[in-house]
Amino acid sequence: MSEAATLSLPSRLEVVDHVRSLGRALVAVMPIHYPRAMLRAHQLHPMEIWGPPHVERHEGSRHFQAYTCDIVVKAMSFIRSGGLDATKAILVPHTCDALQGMGSVLGDFLQPDQRVLTLYLPRGRRSSDHEFLRRELGRLARTLVEVSGHEPCRDDWDEAFEAEDAADAALADLYRRRARLAISDRDFYTVVRSREYLTAEQFCDQAAALPEGEAPQRGVGLMISGIVAEPALFDQIEAMGAYVAGDDLACGFRRVYSASAEADPLERAANRLLTSPADPTCGTPIQVRVDTLQTRMRALGARGLLIYDPKFCEPELFDVPLLRKHLNAAGFPVLHVEFEMGDRLPYQTLSRIEAFVETLS
Amino acid sequence: MSRVAAIGIDAGSTTCKLVAVDQDGTIISSLLEPTEPRVELQVQRMLDAIRAEHGANSSVRTIATGYGRKLIKDATRNLTEITCHARGVFRDLGCAGTLIDIGGQDSKVIQIGGDGRPVDFMMNDKCAAGTGRFLEYTAARLGVPVPELGARALSTAQEEPISSTCTVFAESEIISLIARGAEPDSILRGLHRSLVGRVVSMVRNVGIVAPLMLSGGVAKNEAVREMIAEATVEDVILPGEPQLMGAYGAALLGI
Repeated sequence: MSEAATLSLPSRLEVVDHVRSLGRALVAVMPIHYPRAMLRAHQLHPMEIWGPPHVERHEGSRHFQAYTCDIVVKAMSFIRSGGLDATKAILVPHTCDALQGMGSVLGDFLQPDQRVLTLYLPRGRRSSDHEFLRRELGRLARTLVEVSGHEPCRDDWDEAFEAEDAADAALADLYRRRARLAISDRDFYTVVRSREYLTAEQFCDQAAALPEGEAPQRGVGLMISGIVAEPALFDQIEAMGAYVAGDDLACGFRRVYSASAEADPLERAANRLLTSPADPTCGTPIQVRVDTLQTRMRALGARGLLIYDPKFCEPELFDVPLLRKHLNAAGFPVLHVEFEMGDRLPYQTLSRIEAFVETLS
Repeated sequence: MSRVAAIGIDAGSTTCKLVAVDQDGTIISSLLEPTEPRVELQVQRMLDAIRAEHGANSSVRTIATGYGRKLIKDATRNLTEITCHARGVFRDLGCAGTLIDIGGQDSKVIQIGGDGRPVDFMMNDKCAAGTGRFLEYTAARLGVPVPELGARALSTAQEEPISSTCTVFAESEIISLIARGAEPDSILRGLHRSLVGRVVSMVRNVGIVAPLMLSGGVAKNEAVREMIAEATVEDVILPGEPQLMGAYGAALLGI
């Protein structure tokens, strides 16, 4: 197990106070992809919701089928219990059918006090996808003016893109520097995931402050794929004699975007979103995912792929059999485990991961 | 000087096993007991007994596996059941292949490679269906002792299909079948078929690399063996002591 964390991250409540002091209102944002700079240009700050801990499922589960994932159900419970009362709007990107359903249930039936915003994301990278996304972003921008009462000027857009591009670059740089950072996997992913609620500037400061030196990773290198990994998993992996050589997580590497220099804000925001790495929720063809994973696993020294999904995550599940088949053929063993968010990792799940590490040792 | 080169401990959910091996990996002693609530104390007592019997001291390498493995203070190292069962069966049967281990609390399918290490595996660890507990629990409702289950199931050609995969619901189904006058042996045959169906579906997911091998306490049940062979159209082979394979593999990994 690692030494006590050396990180000093502001809490979510401290961030709320900070952004309010800057004159920005809060928007709750569901995973995964959305235009951060656009929110900032409208004097809004995103607080992402990835299955909040210590939230009971029952309030949210009333509104969905039994096979809906915890990210959606817990977020709905959180909303219904007043957890997002401090926010002015809830943005629900069309990441998957469950999130689209959540957007519909909120907007059409429950109608919370906050404005419910949707964002339909294309499932490809063709020029028609680009055009569709640009139009969607235009629609969202018009709604954001209504939410915030602020019509961004040219300077607002430029300032927002500059700040958010710098934070995107800081995240990409964190991944590049990973092997030289003297922090545990748990700390690394705590900082990566702080992008979910920190301001761009706060995130850049955190990333820049991480100490360089000999990385503590020892043992068997794993690549982790999936939507989100909870902090306890990293401690367990370390205790098993393994480490995270790289990730293909929606809350992590899949959000390493590249900046665009387009003058038009909508064009620039669309370009950024369309540069995200391979991602099943963006319709990345399976062969591209396989090739990308293989290349990264070889480069990072990962010996196997751990697919770690919340239960009922359809976009991830669709790809699992083919990922397993192709990566096995390339000499990379694959383990797929499902978990329930917020629950203590059960012995059986840990035993399977431990057995997987043993097969790779 | 003691002949004991290593000791393997399998602290399972139903039974606790200890195996001592010599430098060549030959079993020189073994113990098997039903698991007690304080498994760490039980293992210590069993360890003391096996050490005393062979004049071995506490410096002998001791490898623990099974659900209670992390509670064993005297263990030099602990390893999962997957690795230990694979190694034990590989040594005992002398071949790679596909191992089905049906334990009290879970069941596993392990593809064993040419070096005795697991290549791929799958575990049924979410519910009692497909485990020894399923047979134990449902058989109790019929009042049939566990060692007689297999023979009783094979004693009839009549089979009552059990549609519930859930152990608790299967028990309710048994009560209904008894109320309708179904023969206990026909119900038992249906119960075995249900368990084998779950296990074979895991085998198909992992893929069959012949031969098909069986370990764990349920391997002693002849109906399970026969039905697996029938469903997979493969011969099923067993190690000498199927229940000891986890502890044996652990001991081998300690040499």
